[in-house]
Amino acid sequence: MSERAQEWVFWIAATILVAMIVHLGTIYLLPRVVMMRALDRIGAVNTMHVGKRPTAASRAIVRPSPDIVYATCPYDLSKGPLRVTAPVIHTSYWSVSAFDANTNNFFVKNDQQTPTDSIELVVVKHGQAWPKLDAAVERVILFSPSEKGLILFRAVVDDDKHLPAIETALHQARCGTVASAPKLR
Amino acid sequence: MHVALKIAGVVVAGVSLGLAATWVVTSRGGMGGSVADGPWKTSLVTGSSQSDPYTRARVALHGLLALKRDETIYYTATTDNEDHPLDGHCVYEIRGRDPSARWWSITAYGDDDYLIPNDEDLYSVSASSIGRAQNGTFHIQVGGLNVHQNKVDANWIPTGTKSFSLTLRLYNPGPDVALDPADAVLPSLKKVSCP
Repeated sequence: MSERAQEWVFWIAATILVAMIVHLGTIYLLPRVVMMRALDRIGAVNTMHVGKRPTAASRAIVRPSPDIVYATCPYDLSKGPLRVTAPVIHTSYWSVSAFDANTNNFFVKNDQQTPTDSIELVVVKHGQAWPKLDAAVERVILFSPSEKGLILFRAVVDDDKHLPAIETALHQARCGTVASAPKLR
Repeated sequence: MHVALKIAGVVVAGVSLGLAATWVVTSRGGMGGSVADGPWKTSLVTGSSQSDPYTRARVALHGLLALKRDETIYYTATTDNEDHPLDGHCVYEIRGRDPSARWWSITAYGDDDYLIPNDEDLYSVSASSIGRAQNGTFHIQVGGLNVHQNKVDANWIPTGTKSFSLTLRLYNPGPDVALDPADAVLPSLKKVSCP
Protein backbone atom coordinates (compact mmCIF):
# COMPACT_ATOMS: atom_id res chain seq x y z
CA MET A 1 0.00 0.00 0.00
CA SER A 2 1.30 3.44 -0.87
CA GLU A 3 1.93 5.93 1.86
CA ARG A 4 -0.94 8.01 0.59
CA ALA A 5 -3.38 5.08 0.73
CA GLN A 6 -2.23 4.24 4.24
CA GLU A 7 -2.92 7.78 5.28
CA TRP A 8 -6.44 7.58 3.84
CA VAL A 9 -7.15 4.33 5.70
CA PHE A 10 -6.01 5.99 8.92
CA TRP A 11 -8.27 9.03 8.53
CA ILE A 12 -11.29 6.92 7.53
CA ALA A 13 -10.76 4.62 10.53
CA ALA A 14 -10.52 7.68 12.78
CA THR A 15 -13.80 9.05 11.37
CA ILE A 16 -15.58 5.74 11.99
CA LEU A 17 -14.23 5.62 15.54
CA VAL A 18 -15.49 9.15 16.28
CA ALA A 19 -18.88 8.26 14.73
CA MET A 20 -19.19 5.14 16.92
CA ILE A 21 -18.32 7.03 20.10
CA VAL A 22 -20.83 9.79 19.32
CA HIS A 23 -23.52 7.27 18.33
CA LEU A 24 -23.16 5.05 21.41
CA GLY A 25 -22.81 8.09 23.69
CA THR A 26 -26.00 9.72 22.42
CA ILE A 27 -27.95 6.43 22.60
CA TYR A 28 -26.80 6.02 26.20
CA LEU A 29 -27.51 9.62 27.24
CA LEU A 30 -30.78 10.15 25.35
CA PRO A 31 -33.18 8.62 27.93
CA ARG A 32 -31.55 10.61 30.74
CA VAL A 33 -31.78 13.88 28.80
CA VAL A 34 -35.42 13.23 27.80
CA MET A 35 -36.33 12.37 31.41
CA MET A 36 -34.52 15.40 32.90
CA ARG A 37 -36.31 17.69 30.44
CA ALA A 38 -39.66 16.11 31.32
CA LEU A 39 -38.96 16.55 35.07
CA ASP A 40 -37.97 20.20 34.52
CA ARG A 41 -41.15 20.85 32.55
CA ILE A 42 -43.35 19.43 35.34
CA GLY A 43 -41.94 21.87 37.92
CA ALA A 44 -40.73 21.95 41.51
CA VAL A 45 -39.31 18.70 42.91
CA ASN A 46 -40.76 16.83 45.91
CA THR A 47 -44.11 18.53 45.27
CA MET A 48 -47.32 17.06 43.86
CA HIS A 49 -48.55 18.58 40.59
CA VAL A 50 -52.14 17.74 39.67
CA GLY A 51 -52.97 18.20 35.99
CA LYS A 52 -56.24 19.16 34.39
CA ARG A 53 -58.16 16.78 32.18
CA PRO A 54 -56.43 17.13 28.77
CA THR A 55 -58.13 19.02 25.93
CA ALA A 56 -57.00 20.25 22.50
CA ALA A 57 -55.33 23.13 24.37
CA SER A 58 -53.02 20.70 26.26
CA ARG A 59 -49.68 20.92 24.48
CA ALA A 60 -47.13 19.92 27.14
CA ILE A 61 -46.95 16.19 26.41
CA VAL A 62 -47.73 14.52 23.07
CA ARG A 63 -50.74 12.22 22.73
CA PRO A 64 -52.33 12.89 26.12
CA SER A 65 -55.38 10.81 27.02
CA PRO A 66 -58.53 12.97 27.33
CA ASP A 67 -59.93 10.30 29.66
CA ILE A 68 -57.15 10.42 32.26
CA VAL A 69 -56.26 12.95 34.92
CA TYR A 70 -52.59 12.78 35.91
CA ALA A 71 -50.82 13.81 39.12
CA THR A 72 -47.04 13.85 39.19
CA CYS A 73 -44.29 14.25 41.77
CA PRO A 74 -40.79 14.76 40.36
CA TYR A 75 -38.45 13.74 43.15
CA ASP A 76 -34.87 14.33 44.26
CA LEU A 77 -33.66 12.12 47.11
CA SER A 78 -30.46 14.09 47.79
CA LYS A 79 -31.97 15.73 50.90
CA GLY A 80 -33.60 12.59 52.25
CA PRO A 81 -36.20 9.93 51.44
CA LEU A 82 -39.50 10.87 49.79
CA ARG A 83 -42.85 10.19 51.40
CA VAL A 84 -45.92 9.98 49.15
CA THR A 85 -49.46 9.64 50.46
CA ALA A 86 -52.62 9.48 48.37
CA PRO A 87 -56.21 8.28 48.49
CA VAL A 88 -56.82 5.22 46.29
CA ILE A 89 -59.61 5.73 43.73
CA HIS A 90 -61.71 2.60 43.40
CA THR A 91 -64.45 3.81 41.04
CA SER A 92 -62.36 3.36 37.88
CA TYR A 93 -58.84 2.43 36.78
CA TRP A 94 -56.27 4.12 39.03
CA SER A 95 -52.56 3.45 39.26
CA VAL A 96 -49.41 4.80 40.82
CA SER A 97 -46.12 4.17 39.07
CA ALA A 98 -42.48 5.16 39.59
CA PHE A 99 -39.85 5.95 36.95
CA ASP A 100 -36.11 6.41 37.47
CA ALA A 101 -33.87 9.04 35.83
CA ASN A 102 -33.14 6.59 33.01
CA THR A 103 -36.92 6.28 32.15
CA ASN A 104 -37.22 2.75 33.60
CA ASN A 105 -40.59 1.98 35.16
CA PHE A 106 -39.51 0.32 38.44
CA PHE A 107 -42.87 0.19 40.22
CA VAL A 108 -46.58 0.13 39.42
CA LYS A 109 -49.68 -0.73 41.44
CA ASN A 110 -53.30 -0.26 40.40
CA ASP A 111 -56.50 0.10 42.41
CA GLN A 112 -57.36 -3.60 42.14
CA GLN A 113 -54.00 -4.48 43.70
CA THR A 114 -54.55 -1.89 46.47
CA PRO A 115 -57.69 -2.74 48.47
CA THR A 116 -57.06 0.00 51.06
CA ASP A 117 -58.54 3.52 50.91
CA SER A 118 -55.14 5.15 50.86
CA ILE A 119 -51.57 4.30 50.00
CA GLU A 120 -48.26 5.45 51.38
CA LEU A 121 -44.98 5.10 49.51
CA VAL A 122 -41.56 5.75 50.96
CA VAL A 123 -38.92 6.14 48.25
CA VAL A 124 -35.28 5.74 49.26
CA LYS A 125 -32.09 5.55 47.26
CA HIS A 126 -29.44 2.91 47.72
CA GLY A 127 -27.71 3.28 51.06
CA GLN A 128 -30.29 5.70 52.45
CA ALA A 129 -31.89 4.72 55.75
CA TRP A 130 -35.65 5.03 55.68
CA PRO A 131 -37.45 7.21 58.18
CA LYS A 132 -39.07 6.13 61.42
CA LEU A 133 -42.49 4.83 60.45
CA ASP A 134 -45.76 4.31 62.23
CA ALA A 135 -46.30 0.58 62.31
CA ALA A 136 -50.05 0.93 61.76
CA VAL A 137 -50.11 2.34 58.21
CA GLU A 138 -50.14 0.24 55.03
CA ARG A 139 -47.09 1.27 53.02
CA VAL A 140 -44.68 0.30 50.32
CA ILE A 141 -40.93 0.95 50.53
CA LEU A 142 -39.41 1.62 47.11
CA PHE A 143 -35.73 1.58 46.27
CA SER A 144 -35.10 4.12 43.54
CA PRO A 145 -32.23 3.14 41.23
CA SER A 146 -31.41 6.86 40.83
CA GLU A 147 -31.46 9.98 42.99
CA LYS A 148 -33.98 11.70 40.71
CA GLY A 149 -37.16 10.26 39.27
CA LEU A 150 -40.91 10.60 39.00
CA ILE A 151 -44.00 9.32 40.80
CA LEU A 152 -47.03 9.31 38.46
CA PHE A 153 -50.69 8.82 39.35
CA ARG A 154 -53.22 8.01 36.62
CA ALA A 155 -56.98 8.12 37.16
CA VAL A 156 -59.41 7.21 34.37
CA VAL A 157 -62.45 9.46 34.06
CA ASP A 158 -64.93 6.77 33.07
CA ASP A 159 -67.87 9.16 33.40
CA ASP A 160 -67.95 12.99 33.38
CA LYS A 161 -70.03 12.80 36.56
CA HIS A 162 -67.06 11.28 38.40
CA LEU A 163 -64.61 14.02 37.38
CA PRO A 164 -65.07 16.29 40.45
CA ALA A 165 -64.59 13.37 42.89
CA ILE A 166 -61.53 12.14 40.98
CA GLU A 167 -59.99 15.62 40.93
CA THR A 168 -60.68 16.07 44.65
CA ALA A 169 -59.01 12.74 45.44
CA LEU A 170 -55.94 13.55 43.30
CA HIS A 171 -55.61 16.95 44.97
CA GLN A 172 -55.33 15.16 48.32
CA ALA A 173 -52.17 13.38 47.15
CA ARG A 174 -48.99 14.66 48.82
CA CYS A 175 -45.29 14.12 48.45
CA GLY A 176 -42.32 15.56 50.30
CA THR A 177 -38.90 14.91 51.76
CA VAL A 178 -38.70 13.26 55.18
CA ALA A 179 -35.72 13.07 57.47
CA SER A 180 -33.82 9.79 57.47
CA ALA A 181 -33.82 7.96 60.76
CA PRO A 182 -30.40 7.90 62.39
CA LYS A 183 -28.53 4.83 61.21
CA LEU A 184 -28.45 1.94 63.65
CA ARG A 185 -25.02 0.92 64.80
CA MET B 1 -2.14 23.36 9.61
CA HIS B 2 -2.79 20.62 7.10
CA VAL B 3 -3.08 17.99 9.85
CA ALA B 4 -5.27 20.28 11.96
CA LEU B 5 -7.65 20.61 9.03
CA LYS B 6 -7.79 16.84 8.61
CA ILE B 7 -8.51 16.33 12.30
CA ALA B 8 -11.30 18.92 12.10
CA GLY B 9 -12.68 17.08 9.06
CA VAL B 10 -12.61 13.76 10.94
CA VAL B 11 -14.41 15.28 13.93
CA VAL B 12 -17.11 16.96 11.82
CA ALA B 13 -17.69 13.87 9.67
CA GLY B 14 -17.55 11.52 12.67
CA VAL B 15 -19.96 13.54 14.80
CA SER B 16 -22.38 13.94 11.87
CA LEU B 17 -22.29 10.23 11.05
CA GLY B 18 -22.73 9.28 14.72
CA LEU B 19 -25.72 11.61 15.16
CA ALA B 20 -27.24 10.43 11.87
CA ALA B 21 -26.97 6.80 13.01
CA THR B 22 -28.68 7.68 16.30
CA TRP B 23 -31.44 9.53 14.46
CA VAL B 24 -32.02 6.62 12.08
CA VAL B 25 -32.27 3.94 14.79
CA THR B 26 -34.49 6.01 17.10
CA SER B 27 -36.87 7.56 14.57
CA ARG B 28 -37.58 4.47 12.47
CA GLY B 29 -40.07 1.85 13.54
CA GLY B 30 -41.58 3.70 16.48
CA MET B 31 -40.71 2.07 19.77
CA GLY B 32 -39.41 -1.11 18.21
CA GLY B 33 -40.70 -4.60 18.96
CA SER B 34 -43.72 -3.54 16.94
CA VAL B 35 -46.59 -5.91 16.18
CA ALA B 36 -49.71 -5.30 14.08
CA ASP B 37 -53.29 -6.48 14.48
CA GLY B 38 -55.09 -5.22 11.36
CA PRO B 39 -54.52 -1.44 11.24
CA TRP B 40 -53.70 -1.39 14.98
CA LYS B 41 -49.99 -1.39 15.80
CA THR B 42 -48.48 -1.73 19.24
CA SER B 43 -45.06 -2.16 20.81
CA LEU B 44 -44.12 -5.10 22.99
CA VAL B 45 -41.41 -3.25 24.85
CA THR B 46 -42.96 -0.23 26.61
CA GLY B 47 -42.31 -0.27 30.32
CA SER B 48 -40.72 -3.71 30.15
CA SER B 49 -37.29 -4.36 31.60
CA GLN B 50 -35.84 -2.40 28.64
CA SER B 51 -32.45 -3.94 29.16
CA ASP B 52 -30.85 -2.83 25.89
CA PRO B 53 -29.90 0.83 25.41
CA TYR B 54 -31.45 1.05 21.92
CA THR B 55 -34.87 0.01 23.15
CA ARG B 56 -34.62 2.40 26.08
CA ALA B 57 -33.72 5.30 23.77
CA ARG B 58 -36.69 4.55 21.46
CA VAL B 59 -39.14 4.27 24.34
CA ALA B 60 -37.85 7.53 25.87
CA LEU B 61 -38.67 9.33 22.62
CA HIS B 62 -41.95 7.67 21.63
CA GLY B 63 -43.50 6.26 24.79
CA LEU B 64 -42.12 8.14 27.77
CA LEU B 65 -43.87 7.17 31.03
CA ALA B 66 -45.84 4.40 29.33
CA LEU B 67 -46.70 1.40 31.46
CA LYS B 68 -45.92 -2.26 30.84
CA ARG B 69 -48.45 -4.17 28.85
CA ASP B 70 -50.34 -6.06 31.54
CA GLU B 71 -51.17 -2.59 32.91
CA THR B 72 -52.10 -0.78 29.67
CA ILE B 73 -51.73 -1.66 25.98
CA TYR B 74 -51.56 1.24 23.51
CA TYR B 75 -52.53 0.41 19.90
CA THR B 76 -52.16 3.11 17.25
CA ALA B 77 -53.74 3.18 13.77
CA THR B 78 -52.45 5.52 11.08
CA THR B 79 -54.21 3.66 8.24
CA ASP B 80 -57.58 2.04 7.62
CA ASN B 81 -58.19 -1.71 7.09
CA GLU B 82 -57.01 -1.38 3.50
CA ASP B 83 -53.75 0.28 4.47
CA HIS B 84 -54.71 3.75 3.19
CA PRO B 85 -53.53 6.62 5.44
CA LEU B 86 -56.29 8.13 7.60
CA ASP B 87 -57.50 11.41 6.05
CA GLY B 88 -59.67 13.99 7.84
CA HIS B 89 -61.61 14.69 4.64
CA CYS B 90 -62.98 11.13 4.68
CA VAL B 91 -65.49 9.42 6.93
CA TYR B 92 -64.57 6.09 8.55
CA GLU B 93 -66.44 3.53 10.57
CA ILE B 94 -65.13 1.49 13.48
CA ARG B 95 -67.13 -1.69 13.98
CA GLY B 96 -66.77 -4.40 16.56
CA ARG B 97 -67.43 -5.38 20.14
CA ASP B 98 -65.70 -4.57 23.41
CA PRO B 99 -62.07 -5.71 23.37
CA SER B 100 -60.88 -7.88 26.26
CA ALA B 101 -59.96 -5.34 28.92
CA ARG B 102 -61.23 -3.78 32.12
CA TRP B 103 -61.80 -0.49 30.30
CA TRP B 104 -60.90 0.88 26.85
CA SER B 105 -60.92 4.11 24.87
CA ILE B 106 -60.31 5.21 21.28
CA THR B 107 -58.86 8.73 20.80
CA ALA B 108 -58.15 10.76 17.64
CA TYR B 109 -54.91 12.78 17.35
CA GLY B 110 -53.92 15.37 14.75
CA ASP B 111 -50.78 15.19 12.64
CA ASP B 112 -49.06 17.22 15.40
CA ASP B 113 -49.76 14.41 17.96
CA TYR B 114 -52.15 16.61 19.99
CA LEU B 115 -55.93 16.36 20.47
CA ILE B 116 -57.90 17.85 17.57
CA PRO B 117 -59.81 21.08 18.39
CA ASN B 118 -63.56 20.85 17.71
CA ASP B 119 -66.73 22.68 18.74
CA GLU B 120 -68.03 19.74 20.77
CA ASP B 121 -64.78 19.19 22.79
CA LEU B 122 -65.07 15.56 21.77
CA TYR B 123 -61.83 13.60 21.48
CA SER B 124 -62.55 9.98 22.28
CA VAL B 125 -65.09 7.21 22.66
CA SER B 126 -64.77 4.81 25.58
CA ALA B 127 -66.22 1.66 27.11
CA SER B 128 -68.42 3.81 29.34
CA SER B 129 -69.51 6.46 26.81
CA ILE B 130 -70.29 4.26 23.81
CA GLY B 131 -73.79 3.20 22.75
CA ARG B 132 -74.07 -0.50 21.89
CA ALA B 133 -76.61 -2.57 19.96
CA GLN B 134 -78.53 -5.23 21.86
CA ASN B 135 -76.10 -7.96 20.81
CA GLY B 136 -73.20 -5.97 22.28
CA THR B 137 -71.73 -4.74 18.99
CA PHE B 138 -71.05 -1.08 18.29
CA HIS B 139 -70.17 1.20 15.42
CA ILE B 140 -68.38 4.54 15.71
CA GLN B 141 -68.39 7.25 13.07
CA VAL B 142 -64.90 8.69 12.70
CA GLY B 143 -64.72 12.08 10.99
CA GLY B 144 -67.48 13.80 9.00
CA LEU B 145 -70.22 15.83 10.64
CA ASN B 146 -72.34 15.24 13.71
CA VAL B 147 -75.33 13.31 12.35
CA HIS B 148 -77.69 14.42 15.10
CA GLN B 149 -78.96 17.98 14.84
CA ASN B 150 -79.36 18.92 18.48
CA LYS B 151 -77.43 16.40 20.50
CA VAL B 152 -73.93 15.08 20.11
CA ASP B 153 -73.70 11.48 18.95
CA ALA B 154 -71.96 9.36 21.61
CA ASN B 155 -70.52 7.15 18.86
CA TRP B 156 -68.71 9.85 16.95
CA ILE B 157 -65.10 11.08 16.97
CA PRO B 158 -64.41 14.32 15.03
CA THR B 159 -61.11 14.36 13.13
CA GLY B 160 -60.65 17.82 11.61
CA THR B 161 -59.66 17.96 7.95
CA LYS B 162 -55.99 16.94 8.00
CA SER B 163 -54.35 13.56 8.36
CA PHE B 164 -54.92 12.00 11.77
CA SER B 165 -54.29 8.86 13.80
CA LEU B 166 -56.22 6.86 16.38
CA THR B 167 -55.01 5.35 19.66
CA LEU B 168 -56.86 2.45 21.23
CA ARG B 169 -55.98 2.06 24.92
CA LEU B 170 -56.77 -1.11 26.83
CA TYR B 171 -56.58 -0.68 30.61
CA ASN B 172 -55.78 -3.94 32.41
CA PRO B 173 -56.17 -5.99 29.21
CA GLY B 174 -57.30 -9.60 29.50
CA PRO B 175 -54.40 -12.02 30.08
CA ASP B 176 -54.81 -13.42 26.55
CA VAL B 177 -54.32 -9.95 25.02
CA ALA B 178 -51.37 -9.06 27.26
CA LEU B 179 -49.71 -12.33 26.29
CA ASP B 180 -50.24 -11.92 22.55
CA PRO B 181 -51.29 -8.37 21.53
CA ALA B 182 -51.10 -9.25 17.81
CA ASP B 183 -53.89 -11.79 18.23
CA ALA B 184 -56.44 -9.67 20.13
CA VAL B 185 -59.94 -9.29 18.72
CA LEU B 186 -60.02 -5.58 17.86
CA PRO B 187 -62.62 -3.45 16.03
CA SER B 188 -62.32 -2.96 12.27
CA LEU B 189 -61.61 0.47 10.74
CA LYS B 190 -63.20 0.96 7.32
CA LYS B 191 -63.41 3.95 5.00
CA VAL B 192 -67.06 4.83 4.31
CA SER B 193 -66.81 7.83 2.00
CA CYS B 194 -64.47 10.43 0.61
CA PRO B 195 -65.45 13.66 -1.13
